[in-house]
Amino acid sequence: MVLFLAFTVIPVGYTLGSSFFAMRLTGEGVLGGIRTSVFVGLENYIAVFQNSEMLAGLGRLAIYGIIAVPLTIGLALLFALLLDSPGVRLKRFGRTAIFVPYAVPGVVAALLWGFMYLPETSPFSYITRAIGLGSIPFLEPEGLYGALANISIWAGVGFNMLVIYTSLRSIPGELLEAARLDGASEVQIALRVKVPLVLPALILTGIFGLIGALQLYGEPLTLKPMTNSISETWAPLMSIYRDAFVLDNLPEAAAASNVLAIGTVLLSLTVLFVVRRINARAAR
Amino acid sequence: MRTHRLVAATIVAALGVSLAGCSAGDTADGEPVTIQFWAWAPGMDVAVEQFNSTHPDIQVEYTDAGGGNDSSAKLITAVRAGNAPDAALIEYTALPRMIIAGVAEDMTEYVGDVQDAFTEGTWQQTTFDGKVYGVPQDVGPMAFVYRDDIFSKYGLDAPATWDDFRSAAETLKVEDPDATIASLSTDAWGWYAAVAATLGEDWWSVEDNVWTVNIDGEGSQRVLSFFNDMYNDGLIAADPILNPSYNSKLNDGTMLSWPSAAWAPGVIYGVAPDTAGNWELSPFPVWDEGDTETSYQGGSGVSLISGSEHPEQTAEFIKWLNASDEGVDLLLNESNLYPAAISGQESAISQDPPKLMPQQTDYYQVVADISKNTRAVTWGPNTDVAQSAFTDAMNAAVQNGTPWVDVLTATQKAVYEDMKKQGFEVREG
Repeated sequence: MVLFLAFTVIPVGYTLGSSFFAMRLTGEGVLGGIRTSVFVGLENYIAVFQNSEMLAGLGRLAIYGIIAVPLTIGLALLFALLLDSPGVRLKRFGRTAIFVPYAVPGVVAALLWGFMYLPETSPFSYITRAIGLGSIPFLEPEGLYGALANISIWAGVGFNMLVIYTSLRSIPGELLEAARLDGASEVQIALRVKVPLVLPALILTGIFGLIGALQLYGEPLTLKPMTNSISETWAPLMSIYRDAFVLDNLPEAAAASNVLAIGTVLLSLTVLFVVRRINARAAR
Repeated sequence: MRTHRLVAATIVAALGVSLAGCSAGDTADGEPVTIQFWAWAPGMDVAVEQFNSTHPDIQVEYTDAGGGNDSSAKLITAVRAGNAPDAALIEYTALPRMIIAGVAEDMTEYVGDVQDAFTEGTWQQTTFDGKVYGVPQDVGPMAFVYRDDIFSKYGLDAPATWDDFRSAAETLKVEDPDATIASLSTDAWGWYAAVAATLGEDWWSVEDNVWTVNIDGEGSQRVLSFFNDMYNDGLIAADPILNPSYNSKLNDGTMLSWPSAAWAPGVIYGVAPDTAGNWELSPFPVWDEGDTETSYQGGSGVSLISGSEHPEQTAEFIKWLNASDEGVDLLLNESNLYPAAISGQESAISQDPPKLMPQQTDYYQVVADISKNTRAVTWGPNTDVAQSAFTDAMNAAVQNGTPWVDVLTATQKAVYEDMKKQGFEVREG
């Protein structure tokens, strides 16, 4: 309870409180004196919603999320099913190999991929140039979403696969045996028996993926020095960082953080609600 | 687990005691004053050590706070948190906003005696409203740093005017199609501001406490459209600089110049040491034949940070580092800075040229000549806003192929409105 108070309630309260203030000049002289904190009510929140860069950032985030989340979960499910099906060799090795990228720190992963994207250092672009196709525009506007999503998919598939795989392992053997006796093929078993049974795990990883996507920050920040396509406000969290620490506008950053946090909760609840609805309908 | 923690705590406590013991042991009479100093230039630790060994009663602890932008952000946070250093290096572009953020402290009463060590123009960089908020450390007289070997291979001289620069770029494009004469990165707002200043355009100016914001003036528009045309004609790039891609071009001789300032040779040497001997420095190109005036890019001063418990001793260190012969020599030799102090600039003339151009024996003479004709720039209290607005608008302009002069309009609007919102008396130029 003390920990909850110290590390959750107080910081949230502080953020909420500071979002209603702003730094304004109070004084005389060329530089107008020193800035002090003034109560401004909802001004910061209005500024957040009027900030076209912030809204554009949310739009970019949506595109990124639509690419990254389904692909991560889809690939994780595919790999989990493959590992779970009988007759697949090198299971242990495969599991580890797919999981390893998850252990690579996010910034290292982004740097590593950054070098593979930059035309001068990219092995892929080296090959395409050699066969006369020119460099691949990984870091240009047309390739950027794919390039960013690829980093998080590469890093995220392993962990999600493990969650789904664990859930697959807990399916009672007799259930699968019954299906097999009924003459179902492995593919049919996978799609008709296994997938519905691991649906809770899919929902869980989906929600985690969604929250993770909304917190996109490290990858675009690491790739930023390599390209003009990523602005300082490319992702909403980058805008918040800039407001807080570059522009020294902590209150507006606090307001934007609150908006983003509430948005995340609402979106997660909506997804959960929709999934439940679909489930209930399917059960009927 | 618990025993581990106990052991760790004991070790930490023991270390603390022994460290405290050391510093007390260094001086025979009384406790020395310890002050914290943040900067980022390489070799600064050597200067600090030198100071500590000659000043037993003041001990300076040095922290590399990493680059101008990072350091500024950290300073603001540290002052709010109450654990700021006593002294810190602050770029001239950032100083006004550090003053209104309550970071840099008025230190007029401590530093009046070193004012004569600097030229009037240099001293103005850290003085506002008659109050001194820092002692200048280095200045960046703008200069043109270029691959002399490749330029002469195609019969080109260092460009005296920007029109020469353009025709050199045209020649190079034909002779050496893989090479680029220069890349002007989209975040180079400070560079464009300084270049506009050589045409007499001040992005910020202040008179009787009223600020004027004049970012989209005629001169600035001329600058932007000139480089916009060069970009559209494929003569220059607008890619980020000093990233892996740029550095590999520096190394393989396909990035042929860097219109920048006197600190550039050290930077280039840091990323492309193998190209040493191929570079030269020449005066910055001018706009119209006969112009001689250029401007400053970069440069920093050391400020007293608010909340310091030892302002007097801190000021003594700051003065020693930036205004004494001993300190200035260290800045020149250990940190490869072009010192702000007159004595440092004079003793630079007899120095060997930087490692990047050992063959250019008149290097420091050229820099000294440039330095005589530089025009100080007034930086406004919200350069951070200018940087953000300019960079984002410039990125968009480069990507969408829209006119670069629109970037000025967008930056002007953002800077003006921010100043108005913060409560300045401000009008548009």
